[in-house]
Amino acid sequence: MSEKGTLFDEEFLKKLEYLNLVSNQMIPGHLHGEHRAKKKTDSGIEFADYRQYVSGEDTKNVDWRTYLRTDKLILRLFEEEADLPIYIFFDASASMDHGVPVKFDYARKIAAALCYVGLLNQDRVNLVGFADGIAQELSARRGKHKVWHAFRFLDSVEARGMTSMEKAFKGFFSSRRRRGLVVVVSDFLDEEGFSKAFDMLRFFRQDLFAVHVYTTEEAKPDLPDEVLLEDAELGTSQRVRITPALLEAYAGQFEEHCEEVGGYCRRHGWGYLRTTTDVPFEDLILQVFRQGWFLR
Amino acid sequence: MIFLGMNAGMVAVLLGTTVAAVVYLYWLKPPPRRVVVPSTLLWDRLLKEKKRNTFFDRLRWWLSLMLALTIGLSVAAGIGRPELSFLGRDIRNITVVIDNSATMATRTADGFTRWEHAVAHAGQLLRQGSAGGKFLILDTSGQAPPREPDDRRSALEVLAGLTVSLGGEPEFPDLPEVESEVFFVSDGVMVDEAPLEATLVSIFEPAHNVGITAFDIEALPSEPTRYHAFLQIKNASPVAKQVTLRLDGSVSGGVRETLTLQAGETGARFIDLSSFGRGPVRAVVTTDSDAFGADDYAYGFLPIRTQTRVALITQGSLYLENVLADVPRLFLDVMRPAQYNAQVSADVYIFDRFAPPEAPRGPALLFVPPDVEWLTRTLDVVEVPEAPAWNPTHPVLRFVALEDLHIDRAARIAVPALGGSRPQTSAGNPGREPETEVVVGNRSLPLVLVTDQAERIVRVSFALEDSNFPLQPGFPIFLANTLGWLMDEQVALARNPGRVEVPLPMAAVTDLEGRDVVAWPLSDRTVFLADQPGLYTVMGEGDRRLRVAVNLASVERSSVNDSGLAAGEITAAASTVLAGAEPGPDEELWILLLSIALLLVVAEWVTYHKRLTV
Repeated sequence: MSEKGTLFDEEFLKKLEYLNLVSNQMIPGHLHGEHRAKKKTDSGIEFADYRQYVSGEDTKNVDWRTYLRTDKLILRLFEEEADLPIYIFFDASASMDHGVPVKFDYARKIAAALCYVGLLNQDRVNLVGFADGIAQELSARRGKHKVWHAFRFLDSVEARGMTSMEKAFKGFFSSRRRRGLVVVVSDFLDEEGFSKAFDMLRFFRQDLFAVHVYTTEEAKPDLPDEVLLEDAELGTSQRVRITPALLEAYAGQFEEHCEEVGGYCRRHGWGYLRTTTDVPFEDLILQVFRQGWFLR
Repeated sequence: MIFLGMNAGMVAVLLGTTVAAVVYLYWLKPPPRRVVVPSTLLWDRLLKEKKRNTFFDRLRWWLSLMLALTIGLSVAAGIGRPELSFLGRDIRNITVVIDNSATMATRTADGFTRWEHAVAHAGQLLRQGSAGGKFLILDTSGQAPPREPDDRRSALEVLAGLTVSLGGEPEFPDLPEVESEVFFVSDGVMVDEAPLEATLVSIFEPAHNVGITAFDIEALPSEPTRYHAFLQIKNASPVAKQVTLRLDGSVSGGVRETLTLQAGETGARFIDLSSFGRGPVRAVVTTDSDAFGADDYAYGFLPIRTQTRVALITQGSLYLENVLADVPRLFLDVMRPAQYNAQVSADVYIFDRFAPPEAPRGPALLFVPPDVEWLTRTLDVVEVPEAPAWNPTHPVLRFVALEDLHIDRAARIAVPALGGSRPQTSAGNPGREPETEVVVGNRSLPLVLVTDQAERIVRVSFALEDSNFPLQPGFPIFLANTLGWLMDEQVALARNPGRVEVPLPMAAVTDLEGRDVVAWPLSDRTVFLADQPGLYTVMGEGDRRLRVAVNLASVERSSVNDSGLAAGEITAAASTVLAGAEPGPDEELWILLLSIALLLVVAEWVTYHKRLTV
């Protein structure tokens, strides 16, 4: 666990500046439009699409020329730019307080970086630390001047408790929330599984970008012959005789677990990125930008 | 199974301790390390699948324990040097008598010696015995310590300590009174008699040998100061041989001759040593394919002095003065008794009817000395004694005839007790030299008495003027012989290799190269071991010096083919034994056990790293 106040130091801020510059080059012009999610509505200026007219709708956007040609009522749709709510969920359960560097610190840096870029783009950014439900929340902010507030919030959160994404999402989205981009930074080690929580996001028609954080030791543990494995969240322990075959099977199991999460996201057109804490976080953020799930 | 390294009780304790230690160490496994993981979610899933392997895990534990126990027991048992014995087989006790007489040093066609073959055969015989049997090794030269039959290891150790004995009189040893199979491994040359119950194993193989069977250096009878060497050479080979004979002196002189000897022929040579200087002389015979080297050379000593200083203390004796004046290389100093004192220095002192109150500092010849403390006293005077007997073999009387000796009167002197009055021994008999010997006359009336001590004494108990001895032709020879004997100018003592005794107490022994030889100085003699032929110098108290020529010089020892056995002959009883010459199951198992342990350690290492064992 990082010391208070040292997580977002001068160096970190320099890196954020750098990331911001790089993101400008990677997605030209996104700052002019104050990057927004585009919504197809009957108002707006820029033509976007056609659709069938439904009885009772306003007829001001009916394309009469087409009606004369085809004898069908077609509505012209326009793109309406709106600010994009970004919900950054970072895992603050006890399982994140592990590894070198600590997974929780790494997750908070990712959250901080994405928050920074979001705020600079005039998006509404929510920061939510979750464990067995919502642990701490920073409600929607907008504008660059809110960055320090966000950093202080991130710095104040501690990792503890069990993990339940389902409870967290349920608690957060049960109050009325706009559709937006949900970023989840977690190790996805949830006893109840992740799929129910993700199903809930689908239900609330949220977009998801999952950042799977783990340590190399977690993926390929190096354990002695006889160990007493203690669960950091549950506090339970069990004696295990380690064999190379078992370690190999565990590595396969871990890979399978990652694939499950990634596969779910891919199946539903969501973004998924997995990383170990060894990877410099700025490299990871660049990778996020490159994938285009965060800045479109 | 028997254990050679320790007794059964100790082995049982060792094995029990090993088992206990291994099992204890297995139970004493350290507690597992506590490792905190973010979540056991994935481990739980995995271990649920692996649950069915618990039985195999237990099996692995037992397998590992069994492996460790096997390794530990193999090592522990190996320390005990176990040996297998056939089940139901009778206990066999084996006694092996091995011939280590001189001819066993003969080389065989394969480059080894008969002795090496004999040792190999004896070892095989011992290994063929049952593990629980009793074993005994004996030899024909008495080297093996007298002992009761013991285990095989002890017998093999005794066998390893035996060597060929060039000297001595080899004979079949007395057998212990225990039931045992007796084998006699021999070439049948020097020891050809064995008890009927002994199974004879022949390692005889015909060989070529030419050897010196006699070597002697002696003065010429006509001229005692000139010497010649007598050499006898035997061709013991089955074929005729051309032999090169070489005589080398240490300072000067050298002779080389070539002679041809037919198979079994013995040749003799007299070689004049006039050209040789004083010192050791070595005779060497060489021929092709000689298989027995110990008799190819012999040593002697040539005792020539350049000048001898003689002090003659007399009231006046024309006989002595005239004869001594004619002796070559002799410096004579004649003086009256009144002129004599203890500071007079000479190589030999001759006292004529006079004796100083204290013994002179050198050897002395005395003619009817008066009574003094250092000499036995005169008992009485005998008028016209009978014709005396004499010992012509003694060096002082060599070539001296006394048939015509006539004595008018002689002093009867006391003879010391018979302590060392055995007759002089022949070569090869390491008997002690007599201290005092009557060489003319008898013990009741000794006329010439020789005393062999630190400073030799020849005492004549009659005056020259009272006899016709000075007129005898042997008188100058007697004087020359006496001077030579007194001055220690004698040829070397002849001895055979082995244990040598010399009549010098508390003496030091050196070989020809001046190296010290281990000697055991006793009160009246010195004993040393001469394993090889050579010339040895024995230095006693008062610079008394004696040379010993240790030569094989024996017809019997050189006759290496004089055997009644055929090559490779084995009597029926032994043939079955030697047929199984390959080491069988009676072989010691410790090497096998340690190999198994090593193999298992490797297997354990591999299986541990493959997590097949714990």
